[in-house]
Amino acid sequence: MNKQKGRMGFIIACLSPAVILFTIFMVIPTINVFRMSLYKWGGFSNNKTFVGLSNFKILFKDDNFYRSFQNTILLIVIVTIVTLALALIFAGIITRIKVKGQDFFRVIFYIPNILSIVVIAAIFSAIYDPTNGMLNSILGIFREKDADILLWLGDQKIVIFSIAIALIWQAIGYYMVMYMASMASIPESLYESAGLEGAGEVQQFFSITLPLIWTNIRTTLTFFIISTINLSFLLVSTLTNGGPDGATEVFLSYMYRQAYTNSSYGYGMAIGVVVFLFSFALAATVNFVTKREPIEF
Amino acid sequence: MKKILSVMVSVAMVVAVSAGCANKEVMNNSTENIAQQTQETAKETPKEEVKEQTLKVAAFEGGYGASMWSEVVAAFEASHPGVTVELTIDKKIEDVISPSMKAGDYPDVIHLATGRQAALTETLTKEKGLLPLTDVLEMTVPGESVKVKDKIVGGFTDTLATNPYGDGITYYAPMFYSPCGLFYNAGLLEAKGWSVPATWDEMWELGEKAKAEGIALFTYPTTGYFDAFTYALIASVGGADTFNAAMSYQDGIWEGEELTQVFDIIGKLAQYTEKTTVANANDENFTKNQQLILDNKAIFVPNGTWLPGEMAEAPRADGFKWGFTALPAVKAGGSGYSFTWFEQIWIPAAAENQDMAKEFIAYMYTDEAAKIFAKSGAIQPIAGVSANLEGDNKMFYSIYDNGAKATMGGFAATTPVEGVDMKTTLFDTVNSIVSGDKTVAKWQKAVEEASDKLRAAME
Amino acid sequence: MRQKKDNVSADQLFKVFIYVALITLAISIIIPIAWVFMASIKQNSEFYSNPWSLPKGIYFQNFIDAFQRAKMGNYMLNSVITTSLALFILLGVALPAAYVLARYQFRGSKLFNTMFMGGLFINVNYIVVPIFLMLVNADKCLKSVFGSGFLLNNVFILALIYASTALPFTIYLLSSFFVTIPKEYEEAAFVDGSGYFRTMLCIMMPMAKPSIITVILFNFLSFWNEYIISLTLLTKDAKTLPVGLMQLMKAQQAAANYGQLYAGLVLIMLPTLILYIMVQKKLTQGMSLGGLKG
Repeated sequence: MNKQKGRMGFIIACLSPAVILFTIFMVIPTINVFRMSLYKWGGFSNNKTFVGLSNFKILFKDDNFYRSFQNTILLIVIVTIVTLALALIFAGIITRIKVKGQDFFRVIFYIPNILSIVVIAAIFSAIYDPTNGMLNSILGIFREKDADILLWLGDQKIVIFSIAIALIWQAIGYYMVMYMASMASIPESLYESAGLEGAGEVQQFFSITLPLIWTNIRTTLTFFIISTINLSFLLVSTLTNGGPDGATEVFLSYMYRQAYTNSSYGYGMAIGVVVFLFSFALAATVNFVTKREPIEF
Repeated sequence: MKKILSVMVSVAMVVAVSAGCANKEVMNNSTENIAQQTQETAKETPKEEVKEQTLKVAAFEGGYGASMWSEVVAAFEASHPGVTVELTIDKKIEDVISPSMKAGDYPDVIHLATGRQAALTETLTKEKGLLPLTDVLEMTVPGESVKVKDKIVGGFTDTLATNPYGDGITYYAPMFYSPCGLFYNAGLLEAKGWSVPATWDEMWELGEKAKAEGIALFTYPTTGYFDAFTYALIASVGGADTFNAAMSYQDGIWEGEELTQVFDIIGKLAQYTEKTTVANANDENFTKNQQLILDNKAIFVPNGTWLPGEMAEAPRADGFKWGFTALPAVKAGGSGYSFTWFEQIWIPAAAENQDMAKEFIAYMYTDEAAKIFAKSGAIQPIAGVSANLEGDNKMFYSIYDNGAKATMGGFAATTPVEGVDMKTTLFDTVNSIVSGDKTVAKWQKAVEEASDKLRAAME
Repeated sequence: MRQKKDNVSADQLFKVFIYVALITLAISIIIPIAWVFMASIKQNSEFYSNPWSLPKGIYFQNFIDAFQRAKMGNYMLNSVITTSLALFILLGVALPAAYVLARYQFRGSKLFNTMFMGGLFINVNYIVVPIFLMLVNADKCLKSVFGSGFLLNNVFILALIYASTALPFTIYLLSSFFVTIPKEYEEAAFVDGSGYFRTMLCIMMPMAKPSIITVILFNFLSFWNEYIISLTLLTKDAKTLPVGLMQLMKAQQAAANYGQLYAGLVLIMLPTLILYIMVQKKLTQGMSLGGLKG
C-alpha cells in the first residue's frame, strides 16, 4: 500500500511540472485561438463582437485562402516526396556502399538544418538573383545566349518550386541522418545472406532496408507535415513576402496578413484553427494509410 | 553611486533647461548633449519632482535619421520646463510599440505614416482608436502668434490622408512631405537626345526608342510603390472628384470610363517593364530594381525623394545625374500630376497625457522645430520652408513649380472586412500584369468587387 | 568474359554517378555558407554589384560596427542567457516526465501520452499572440496587487515559454528512447533497495546521455534561431540576436547597412556551427540509440 502511494507520488512529482507548463503555455493559448475565431476583433480596441461561425463562412468563400491552401499542400507534397527520396537514397549509399569520406558528407549535409532562416533567405536570394545569381550563371553556360532568363522568384509558375528547393535543401541532411541512424541498427547478416542469394544493392535496399525502417519513415512523415507548414511560413515571409501577387502565400503567412495587416484578428485565428485541424487530420490519414505490420529483426 | 550621479545629472539638466529658457543661444549649442542625457536619465529620474510630467513620444526613424528627433525633443523640453519627453525611435517602430499598446500602455504621440506594411496606423484608425486633432489646428503655435491651421500649407489638412473617415474631422497632422514621381537618369536622356515625355503617348514613343537600344522604359521597386503612382494617375485622368470618389469606394467608379484608362495605362506600362523587375520586387531585393536606373538598364522608376539617399553608396553609370518628373499628362496640353506623400503624427485615444501631446504636435509647427527637421532634409508643409532648399532637394520640391498638380490622400478607413484588402488587390496584382498571369480586365473586376465590399463596411 | 567486363564498367559508372551526386550536394551547401562569411568582410558599396564577386579586401570594421552600433553584443548575450536558461528548464521538466510516461503504466498515462503527441501539432506561430495577451492580463493583475508587472520583457519568462513549447517534441524524443531500455535495469535497482528517484537519476539518466545530447542540440538550434516569440515578448531594448538581425535588415527608405547585416548573419551562424561540429558524432549515436526509432 505504502509502496503504491510512493509510486503514485513519484509519478505525480515527475509529471506535474511538464503538465502544468504545457497546459499554461500551449493548451490554454490554443483554446483561446479557437475561442477568438468566433469573434470579430481588430486587435487593439475593446470591441470584440461575437460572430459565431461567420469567420469560417467567409473563409470558405475566400479565394485567397484557397490559394494559400493549395500552395501549402503543394509544398508539403513536393518537399516530402523529394526530401524523403533523396534522404533515403543518400542515407542508403553512405551506410551501405563504402564511399570515401562518409563522415565528411554526413557532417556537411546536416549543416543547412542548423542555419537560421534569416541566413537561408539571404543565401537563396543571392542564388536566385535573375542576372548575377548562382543558378542563372550556371544555367547560362548550357543555354543559348539570347534565351529568356529564368526568374526564380518572379515567375509565378516557378516561384513555388523555388521555395520548395530551398526547403528541401534545408531538410535533406536532417532526415538523412535520421534514416542513417536507423539503418545502422539493421544487422549486417541480413545483407550478407541476401548477397549470397544474388540480390544486388538496389534490390537489397527495397527488400531489406526499406521494410525494416518503415516505422521510422512513417514517423518522419508527420514531421514533414508539421515542419513544412512552419518553415514555409518563415521562409516565405523573409524571402518573397507571399509574392509575386500571392503566388507563394502559404497558410500561416495568410493568417498573419489577415490578423495583423488587415486588422481582422478573429479571422486570422479562424485560419489558425483550420491549419491546426488540417495538419492533424492529414497526419492521421497518412498514418492510417501507411500502416503495415511492423517487421522485427 | 550610480543613483547619486543620476540625480546630479538630472539636477544639472533642470538647471541647464531653465538657463536655456533665459538664454536660447547657449541652449542650442548644447541641445544634442542634453538630448542624450535626458534619454538616459528619464528612466531613473526620481518621481519626487513636483511639476514633472512625462510625455511618451514614439517616432518612426526614416531616411532622415534619428538625431533630428532628439534635437527637436530637447528643444521642446527646453521651452516647456518640467516636461520630460520619453522618446522611442526605431526603423520598425510598430514592432516596438504595438506589443505594449496591446497591453494598454500607449505612447502619447505617435509619428508613423499610413501605408506601411504592418499598417499599425490603419489598424488604429479602423478600430476608432484616434483622438480628433481639430482643436490642435485651432491652437496657437507655441511661442508664436499664428494658429497652427494657418501655418500649414493649404490643402494639406482636408484630404483623406488627414481626415481618414471623410467626415471633415482631422485625426492625423501632416508632417514631412515628399513629392512622388518618376526618377530617371538625366545624364542618359541628355546623352541620347531624348526628352522627358509630357504625355503618355510620348512615353510610349520613348519606350519604343529605348527598346531599340536594349533599355527598358520602366521598373518599380515593389508593387507597394504603385500607391503614389496610381493615385496620381487617377487624379490626372479624372481630377480631384474622381480621385475622392475612388478613394471612398463609390459604386461603379473603378469600372467607369475614366478609371478604365488608368488600368489601360498601367497595363501598357507593364509591357515596357524591365524583365527582372518582378523577381526582385520584394522587401529583400527591391534595391536591385532601383539599381537598374543607375546602371542605365531602365529609364523610369516611381519613387519618393528619399531614393537618392537610399542609393547613395551604390555604383552608377558614367555621367549619372538624378532627374525627377511628375507623371505625364493623359492628353496633350493637360498637366502632369504628382502624388504628395506625407508622414503623419497623431494621438491615440488611449493616450494618458493628451493635453501635453496636443501641445507637442502644435510645437512641431514652430519655426524652431521646422528648422531642425529641415536641416536633415525632412520638409514639413509649412509655408516658406521649402524655399531654402539646396541641391537635389530643390529640384524635387520644385516639381509643382513646373506646372504639375498635386494629389494627396488615400483610401478611406472602413471597419475591417475579412479577407478583403484593397491595397493587395489593387497594387500587388501589378506583378501579375507584368508577368502576364492576369489580364487587365480581370484585375479591374477584382478591384471593383473589393471596392463594393469595402463600401458596405463604411459608416 | 566480355559480360564480366561490362559489369565492372557499369559498376564503376554507378560509383562515379554516386560521387557526382554526393559532391554536388556537398558543394551546394559549402559554397553558399562560405559566401556568407565572405560577404561579411565586404564593404557596403560592394553589395550593389554581383553578389558572388570576391571581396576587394578584408573589411573587418563590419564586425566592430555590428557590435558597437548595432548592439549585436548585447543581443548575443541575451540570446545566450535565454537559450541556456530554456535548455536548463526544458531538461529539468522534460526528462522526468518522459521517463515516467515511457516506463510507468498508471491511470491516465495513455491520456497524457496522447496529449503531448497532440501538442506536436500546435504551431507556435499562431499561439504566440494568445500567450502574449495572457501575459498582458496577468501583468495587469500583478500591477494592481504589487504595483508592477514583471511578466513581459523578462528573459526568464521567455525562456520558460521556449521550454514549454518545446515540451511535446522533447518528451516524444526522450520517451521513445526510454521505451527501448529493458525492464531488468530498473528491477535490479529496486532489488538493491534503490528508490524511484535514485533509480531515475543514477541508473536511467546516464544511459540516456546520447539522447539528451541530441535533445540539447535540436533545442539549442530552435531556441537560438527563434524570433517570433522573442519579437512579441521582448518589446524593450533587450532583444535576442535574430530579432536584432531582422531589424538590421533593410528598413525601406534608408540606406541599407549590408556589411553589418552580413556580419550579424555570421555572428548568428557561428555558435551553431561550433556546437554542431563539437557534438556531431554524438548526434548520430543519439538518434540510433533510440530517439527516432519510431
